[in-house]
Amino acid sequence: MSESSFRKATPGRLVAITVTLLILLSPFLWLLQMSFKTNDQILQFPPPLIFTPTLENYISLWHSAFSASFVNSLLSASLSTALALLFGVPAAYALSRWAGRGKHALSFAILVTRMAPPIAFTIPFFLFYRWIGLLDTITGLVLVYTSFNLPLVIWMMQPFFDTIPVSLEEAALVDGARTRTVFTKIVLPMVTPGIAATAILCFLYAWNDFFFALILTRTNARTAPVAVVNFMNYEGWEWGKIAAGGSLVMAPVLIFSLAVRRYLVSGLTAGAVKG
Amino acid sequence: MERRRFIAFALTPSLIVLFAVAVLPAIYLIVTSLTPFQLTTPGSATDFSDPFRNYALLPGDPRFVNSLAVQAKLSVASVLFQVLLGMLLALLLNVPSRFVEFARTFFLIPMVLPPIVVAVIWKLIYAPDISPLYYAAQALHFTLPALTSSVDFALTAIIIADTWEWLPFTFLMVLAALQTIPDEYSEAALVDGASKLQIFWYVTLPFITPILVISGMFRLIDSVKAFPLIFLLTGGGPGTVTEVTNYYAYLLAFDTNEIGYSSAVTVVMLLLVCGISLGLVWMGRRKEALA
Repeated sequence: MSESSFRKATPGRLVAITVTLLILLSPFLWLLQMSFKTNDQILQFPPPLIFTPTLENYISLWHSAFSASFVNSLLSASLSTALALLFGVPAAYALSRWAGRGKHALSFAILVTRMAPPIAFTIPFFLFYRWIGLLDTITGLVLVYTSFNLPLVIWMMQPFFDTIPVSLEEAALVDGARTRTVFTKIVLPMVTPGIAATAILCFLYAWNDFFFALILTRTNARTAPVAVVNFMNYEGWEWGKIAAGGSLVMAPVLIFSLAVRRYLVSGLTAGAVKG
Repeated sequence: MERRRFIAFALTPSLIVLFAVAVLPAIYLIVTSLTPFQLTTPGSATDFSDPFRNYALLPGDPRFVNSLAVQAKLSVASVLFQVLLGMLLALLLNVPSRFVEFARTFFLIPMVLPPIVVAVIWKLIYAPDISPLYYAAQALHFTLPALTSSVDFALTAIIIADTWEWLPFTFLMVLAALQTIPDEYSEAALVDGASKLQIFWYVTLPFITPILVISGMFRLIDSVKAFPLIFLLTGGGPGTVTEVTNYYAYLLAFDTNEIGYSSAVTVVMLLLVCGISLGLVWMGRRKEALA
């Protein structure tokens, strides 16, 4: 018997799963539906569950400073991802192929830099940026995001390189190829899926950051997560805009994380940064 | 020889970058923790006349001591809930079915959402005038207290939100472990007349205990960083009921301008996190040795 007779998808179980899912996701769904309501509908009691959805909130966000902060988020997240990959992918390859002593200690030291609470980095970064004028700049954000994405790249890419047999490279080396050529022409193409997954996770970590952006930016480089919160402080409680802003901030995350679902655990356990 | 040079060449730039963005800031943090540094006081950044003053003040600072207690309560409660509920969820979803496999993805949503969006969602749930929670209570003629501004409930409100956010993580880890258990074991026990509870206790639980411990440790290390929830929901209040060490350090540095003192608080926090991380590695090694 190939199918297990012990674990069965009974109808009762499927119902239980569906109900649990609905309960778990209801806070999230509530925010989503609110983003399509007018402020009057939001304040109505009892809340109308059936209503004509409006794009009003999204349109007013588009015309506000929020769109600039959205672009800031996109820029800082993608640039830091590119930088982290540029430095981290060769380093992960080196660590994978390096058989010397201290390899594990070094890998662990690299990981530790990610486990530290963000506040430990914010104080020095803030003082340093203040001194050299990097506060409230995209460059400043890219630098700090790279600092926590680089260990992630090294940590995540290493297992991908580990799966490539060294004999494959040795064959090419015997044929007279240079190590650099072997790396770029043979090894790299084989780990493309790994690079893609790692890139998405790096992007998400930078995109999700709130803490660094809150402290290191003011207006010019303000990112979307900080902009959402600013709707609460200065423009009163415009729940429609807050809900729409929140939904826009989570949209890329939802799309991307579905794509890298398989790698989520290794990415998260490499010391999640949630500032 | 050429190959070894290439490997060194591939590794060096990253090590230099990591040294610059992680090791140097850590050293600088320790240096500022030895000074009475305030941005508004000239010369305070280089005043090393009484280097251990900040550290000497810590044990007598009621807010610092309180923040450790709050952190302990928040961490222990949310980690316990996350491990327990994550395990239950994993047991529920550990069935071979296309539909369930499809559904699993949606269970991960809270964890991948930007932490500030999670905070906004719970701000909404805890806002009496528009919250579905309060609507439901009202419909049942039941009066809910203002959760986030109540001394008795504020920390619980944070714990609930944090559990919601990170439950998918423990769920994912436990599910992965459950799927490595061969069905033959439970089937054999079933044939021998074991009840479902007995199978769970004697077959399933021993298998997943290591992963329960490890995922709990990961969550414990990360629970120190819970910032957006506290920032948005309670601001550390009412009073200092939800003021964890991380938040206290933030307020010290960026609200009251006590950068030197805040650095000392942060250094102590770093040492605690490093201690827990080392414990995690040690346990991982032990597990490998057993396997």
